[in-house]
Amino acid sequence: MSKTALVTGASRGIGLETPRRFILNHDEITTVVMFARDSEDFDENVAALEAELPIGRRLVPYRVDVGDRSALKKAVKQAYDEVGNIDILVNNAGYTNPVPLQQVKMSDFEKTMNVNLYGPFTIVKTLLNRGNRFDLIVNIASTAGINGRSGWLTYSASKAAVINMSQVMREELSIYGTRVVCLSPGRTATALRRTLAPEEDPSTIMQPEHVAQVIYTLCSPVGRFIDSENIVVRQ
Amino acid sequence: MYSLILLNGGIGSRTGANQPKQLLKLRGIPILVYALVTADRVEQISQIVVNYPPDWREQVEEVLAAYAISTPVTLVEAGSSRHSSVAAMLPHCTNDDVIIHESARPLVRERDFQNLIDSEHRNVSLMSEISFTVAPVDPETSAVTGSLERDRLRNVQLPQKFSKSDLQAAHDRAVEQGVEFTEDATLVADSGFPVHFIDGSDENFKVTTKTDLKMAGFLLRPEEGDDE
Repeated sequence: MSKTALVTGASRGIGLETPRRFILNHDEITTVVMFARDSEDFDENVAALEAELPIGRRLVPYRVDVGDRSALKKAVKQAYDEVGNIDILVNNAGYTNPVPLQQVKMSDFEKTMNVNLYGPFTIVKTLLNRGNRFDLIVNIASTAGINGRSGWLTYSASKAAVINMSQVMREELSIYGTRVVCLSPGRTATALRRTLAPEEDPSTIMQPEHVAQVIYTLCSPVGRFIDSENIVVRQ
Repeated sequence: MYSLILLNGGIGSRTGANQPKQLLKLRGIPILVYALVTADRVEQISQIVVNYPPDWREQVEEVLAAYAISTPVTLVEAGSSRHSSVAAMLPHCTNDDVIIHESARPLVRERDFQNLIDSEHRNVSLMSEISFTVAPVDPETSAVTGSLERDRLRNVQLPQKFSKSDLQAAHDRAVEQGVEFTEDATLVADSGFPVHFIDGSDENFKVTTKTDLKMAGFLLRPEEGDDE
């Protein structure tokens, strides 16, 4: 059976490695919708992925900012009209601007919540309201959402909310047979990690493809046996 | 194909809430939603006729829209009794065969509908065995008047399926005779049409009291593994 996946934050890192695995290796996923902000990175990476696309597989890129709620809703509706039911959703897009509590700007806190929390919620709600029936939703949280980190107030709070929201989604969407998995990666060599820990050598920590492989496994037949409210992936 | 008559017109006086029980939340979800979503997955159901308690149409419409039920839905105002509600909903059914269910049985499973549809007979009800003894009595004198064979009795459940024309004829006859039935399998059988039963599940009980609500919530909780 042919399935469709939607991955957000798809221009690089985990959000790029996940569609790559889906479209090149997965037996059932034949269409991957990629949501990312407009950037040269996104254009180049989509072009590179399309160059190695197997016959019968399709990439559908959308240039949209997950933090812009009205643009996001519009893109979700367009994508649903274009590709039909989204079977697998990977809410990966993330944003952070780590500053001490005293220096947090409310507008930046709101942006963090918009991208990390309200974005995933908006995608799920918009699709459900249109009659979409998910097989699997993977919400990418963070180990920083399990224990708050000094200097990362906005990011930690947003990811804690993602973990909690995933628990609720998991219960409420069980009426459709939808599986909801929350994945909390530890230190991963992504652009976001460079913002959080600029002094760190990225070659010494977990790579995006490792997390993507875990997501891929969750979408494989054996995935339904990996059952946890919050899967921690760390080195 | 089948039209589903989803009885949803009760006012829920026995739950003690200030709203119809089918709009109460069970694990955070309106009770009505469970049967709707399950029925929506059944391919052979091409129409859902739902009734609503007078003054509660808007709330029922909100639920239908939010949960994006893909099967076409027809809304009908509830009658003064279950019997009159079915009679009022039946003319709105566009298929020759109908299924009757009630939203107060949220634990109905897709396979309950499927087993009913797969039955070789046309008029069929889910029923379950009675695990306790029922005695005939005279309520006025408090006298026990005899005995009943438990093996020859069944607890009538929903869903049920009927030929629309048989069900219509049975309701027409009831009007002529000025009688009301509390459910339709016995109504149709009493009218002389063949009605059969298949075994239902004891989990598919009707949520009527606060205790029922707690039990349904318990049964709907995520299953915990047998971790060692």
